[in-house]
Amino acid sequence: MRKAVELRNVKKSFGKVTALRGITLDVYEGEIFGLIGPNGAGKTTTLRIMTTLVKHDEGYVNVLGYELPREKNKVRKFIAYLPEEAGLYHRLTGWENLLYFAMIYAEDVDEAYRMAELGAKIAGLDSEVLRRKASEYSKGMARRIAVARTLMSKSKLVILDEPTSGLDVFSAVRIREMIKNFTKEIKTTVILSSHNMLEVQYLCDRIALIHEGRIVAIDTPENLVRLTDSANLEEAFIKLVGEHHG
Amino acid sequence: MGKLYPVMWKELKSMIRDVRTLLVISMLPLIIMPLMGLSSLYLQQYQQGIVVAIDEDRSWAIIGRYNISSSELLTRIVNALKENNFVVRVLKTSEEARGLYYDLEVIIPSGFVKNASSFTEVAYVKIIKTVGSVKAYDADRIVQNELAFYSRYISQAKTYYLANLSGITVSADSILNPIKVVIGVVGPGGVAASPAEEFRSYLARIMAFSLIFVTTPSIAYITDSIIGEKERRTFEAVLATPLPRHSLLLGKVLSTSLVGLIASVSDAAGLILFFVLPSLAYGVNVLTYLTPDLVAIHIIGVYVSILASLALVLPAMIRAGSYRSSQAVSLAIISVASIIFFICLYVDIPNLVSFVKFPLYVLPYTHVVIMIRDVVLGAPLKAMVHLGIAVAESAVFLLLSVKMFSDERIIYLKT
Repeated sequence: MRKAVELRNVKKSFGKVTALRGITLDVYEGEIFGLIGPNGAGKTTTLRIMTTLVKHDEGYVNVLGYELPREKNKVRKFIAYLPEEAGLYHRLTGWENLLYFAMIYAEDVDEAYRMAELGAKIAGLDSEVLRRKASEYSKGMARRIAVARTLMSKSKLVILDEPTSGLDVFSAVRIREMIKNFTKEIKTTVILSSHNMLEVQYLCDRIALIHEGRIVAIDTPENLVRLTDSANLEEAFIKLVGEHHG
Repeated sequence: MGKLYPVMWKELKSMIRDVRTLLVISMLPLIIMPLMGLSSLYLQQYQQGIVVAIDEDRSWAIIGRYNISSSELLTRIVNALKENNFVVRVLKTSEEARGLYYDLEVIIPSGFVKNASSFTEVAYVKIIKTVGSVKAYDADRIVQNELAFYSRYISQAKTYYLANLSGITVSADSILNPIKVVIGVVGPGGVAASPAEEFRSYLARIMAFSLIFVTTPSIAYITDSIIGEKERRTFEAVLATPLPRHSLLLGKVLSTSLVGLIASVSDAAGLILFFVLPSLAYGVNVLTYLTPDLVAIHIIGVYVSILASLALVLPAMIRAGSYRSSQAVSLAIISVASIIFFICLYVDIPNLVSFVKFPLYVLPYTHVVIMIRDVVLGAPLKAMVHLGIAVAESAVFLLLSVKMFSDERIIYLKT
């Protein structure tokens, strides 16, 4: 299988704070890859490096065959990113929020409209709701639009940072379904971070467990549970992180 | 599809939908500024000034054919004050004025006529102003005018008297005002200028000064456009798209400048009304001097000033570590612009010494001010050159912003 993302001994510091102490991982084309770890473990920094937004201090980063940060403009053409707690433009309608991102990705107006139509379909919101200003949306509706605008461009690599964080159970389930169904349909590569072990177990083919800026373990959810002799992924996570807590 | 279009589309939609802010920004100056001008004028008219006038001398004298009289001087002063809506109380002694409220007290002391009609002494009139009274200054001006008139009358009487004694024929003016000044006004080419042209030049300075108000609204919009996106958590997703940074920044600047223009034109129009309405109340129609070329150059000046402000603020905003520091830098830039627009009221920048002039030329605002001046002085080609420089300097600062743009810095900006 071809690698979609390759990170080798990637280090990053912000002043005196070390965020990443040498991350090495590979993500393969077409898989859904999960990044889990406690708060401040370095998940978001790792994702931001892959999305070209943050430059790493040391190490090697290759995304979709392009080396970062040298070829960041090429990478941006093929990725779509949903940051943690991503907002919408509250004075634009839901439809206009989709159309804005579609216009950025599309080559012409027709393609932009087709892309936005697809976004509306992925979001699963009816046209009356899409005509309302985003400021009137519930948190769940806003997140559906945000996830849909990330997926609709059919980018080769989709990066989702905590896509269901802060949502109620029903909204979270709906978002997970959106991600699972659509990414499998278009056979894209997905990297997502999450605190929710159930979500990761449900969505991801493989998982990297990150703690204090280092990768603690990488494997399938089933293997991680089995190898740590745990009942579920949550227990495996506690065992693996606990070992490294010292 | 050009990537500038989506950014401008989104920015303009967002800004135009903020109807309340737009209305407040655009309507408030149009209402407040003329109201300030008119209300101060209106209230001034209804503010009653009180003057106490005392003739302690009550005497008269004759010089040749001229009669010098303290009561005549008092009558002149009282009449002039009454014509200007002052309440005048004529008293016999200054003792009577004690305990009374007044804005101004005029005392013609005893011995006034004796001294005024003498050829060796000088006569005095006492004027006492009440501290903090606005009307005292108006009353003083009126009294001083009457005293100047009467002083000249006495001089004339003495001149004719002495001339008569010595048997010389004289004209009063040749003795009292031997030098007269004839003032003419010319344009830059040396051609005589009309009073209207002179007034246009004055108006141009006021217009350049009014640019002081145009920078603030647009800077508020661009701050919201960049820092606001960060606060609302919409920026990060956009930065990870293929949107080129020059399209992102230029789109924000152009759309902000268009909306800022509405607010700024309203500000400038408000300022003009501040001057025009009171002048109309005095029967002078300043609007006749506002020719289309002057209005057009003012609008161009407003737009270029906005563009320049945005271009100057942008690099600082992009490199600022926090929202507060970006606000501080914006304030500093507004202050610099304000200084340039203020000094143009009193200083002709092109005539300054080189070591002062050339550093000022680095700022686009300086060229905007000179551009307006050149159009008024009938030098359109020079005006075009300064317009070009102002736009080019703004473009350089915009380019600098694109070069300095750092995704990481924006993402980790403290709000």
